[in-house]
Order: sequence, then structure tokens, then C-alpha cells
Amino acid sequence: MIENISATRMELLRLKRRLKLAQRGHKLLKDKQDELMSQLLAIIDEVKNLRLSIERKFQSILFEFILASAKMGPSQAEEALLLPTKKISVSVKKKNLMSVRVPLFEKEVEGNIIPYGYLNTSSGMDAALIKFNKFIESLFNLAEKEKSVQLMADEIEETRRRVNSLEYKLIPNLTESIKYITMKLDETERSSIVRLMKIKDIIRGH
Amino acid sequence: MKTKIAAIGENDIMLIFKAIGVDVFPVSEVDEAAVKIKHLAAEGYGIIFVTETIAAKLDFIIKEYSDKFLPSIVVIPGLGKRNDYAIQRLRSAIIKAVGVDVITEQ
Repeated sequence: MIENISATRMELLRLKRRLKLAQRGHKLLKDKQDELMSQLLAIIDEVKNLRLSIERKFQSILFEFILASAKMGPSQAEEALLLPTKKISVSVKKKNLMSVRVPLFEKEVEGNIIPYGYLNTSSGMDAALIKFNKFIESLFNLAEKEKSVQLMADEIEETRRRVNSLEYKLIPNLTESIKYITMKLDETERSSIVRLMKIKDIIRGH
Repeated sequence: MKTKIAAIGENDIMLIFKAIGVDVFPVSEVDEAAVKIKHLAAEGYGIIFVTETIAAKLDFIIKEYSDKFLPSIVVIPGLGKRNDYAIQRLRSAIIKAVGVDVITEQ
């Protein structure tokens, strides 16, 4: 119950309004939480499978690349890749998912993937780089999805706290206070009626 | 909005990222990587690739950025021993949201 409350009709009206608002907010937040949860559950397995397949693929490409660069010798491999001609960047867009802002990445590339001449390099290196070039997009996809999961998980936790604090703290508090004021007002009314009756009796006796 | 991409990790792995046009920052020490990640995030990199071995030791820093819109820190497997850091991170996010572990084992 709210402490130090004055049992007046005005206070009662105010509390009733607050209770209505809190109940409406609670319903809205609860709906938001449910929807977020169902969206999160829908993408979670997809993200996990994406991550596992990407990890496998990345490792095989990496392995191929390391072998190729080992064949060429470390200094030569570094030299060949010293000045990459390809430039990659991403443009970020915001997507609004139930008031959670998640990023959408879109890659922007310039230039060719192979920055070296064919003379001193092995064909294994070419193959690995071309494969990696195709693969990089799925890495961006993963970046986007994992971020969404993280952000949504945070938002769900926050929403759950709000829902709980409304449901278990604010709304019971308000209902109890309303009950207290109603009872108090009723009591004053009864006592004033009794007083009036008593006074009436005394006056009639004279 | 256009953002840059960075990769942090062991030198060997960084070469392949360099070829594709990503800004690479080879590091050998974990402390160095920690400073680097903070630096890159402040500079406005949108995606930061971090190798698994480093990420596992820098959990506290990666968590700092998990509730920000950018950067998205992506953990990639390295050459050394595997650890399932990325899956663990996913799992802890789910536990936080749902309350139970709903990731299906394969």
C-alpha cells in the first residue's frame, strides 16, 4: 500500500485513474513481450545453424589459404597481399523490430579480389581467395542476425522487468490503496450518520 | 550510413581478411586486443571480426558492446584449438531472455 495517503475523494479519483493507466500499460507491455519472445524463438535455431555451417566453411577455406600461403613462403604471401585492390565496406540500415532497432548490413565492394600478378603465386591461393570472396557475405549475414538476437534478448529482459514490476508491485499497491480509501470514506460516512441521528434524538428530547 | 569493417586476430588469419579489403589489426597479446577493440568501436567500425581464442578471453569487453546498436562483434573460428565461445554467448542470451535453455542440441 502507498504510505502516507490522505483518505479523500480527490485522492481516490486520482488513484483510480492511475490504476486504469497501469493496467493498460501492463497489457501493452505484456503483448510486446509475447511478440518479441515468439520472434526470438523463430530466429534462434536459424542463427545457431547458420553459425555452425559458417564455422565449418570458414575453417576449410582458412585451411586452404594457410596451405597455399605456406607453399609460397610467408614473406612472399605477405608481399602478394600487401596492397589489396579490393575495398569492402557495409552500409547500415536500421530496422525496427517491435521497437528494437536492429542493424541491416549491405555490403559495398570495389575492385578485384586478386591483388597480385599470377607469376609468383600459387593457384591454391587464388582458389581460396575466390571462395572467401563469395563467403564473406554470409559472415555479414551472421553479424546482422547475431546482433539482432543479442538486442532482442536484452529488450525482452527489460520488458519482462517492467511487466513484473507493474503486475506484482504497482497494480496491487494501487488496488490496496483504493480499497483503503473507500473503506475509510465509508466509515466516516457511517459515523457522521450516527452522529446526526444522535443529535436529532437529543434535540427531540428537549 | 556507411561503416568500415575490421578484423582482430592472429597474423596468419588476418592475411585472408586483408586480401578482401577489410582493415586488419594483427595482435598477439590479449591486452593489446582489448585496447584495440575499444579503439575501433569508438572510431565507428560497424563490424569487428574477432578470433575465437581472443574473444574467449575478452568476454567482458564483448559483453559491453552486446547491447549497443553498433558495432556488431562477430566471433570467427581460429586456427588453434576450438572452443564454442560463440555458441555459449548465443545460449546465454537466450537464457537471459527466455529463462530456460531452448537451443536444441544436435
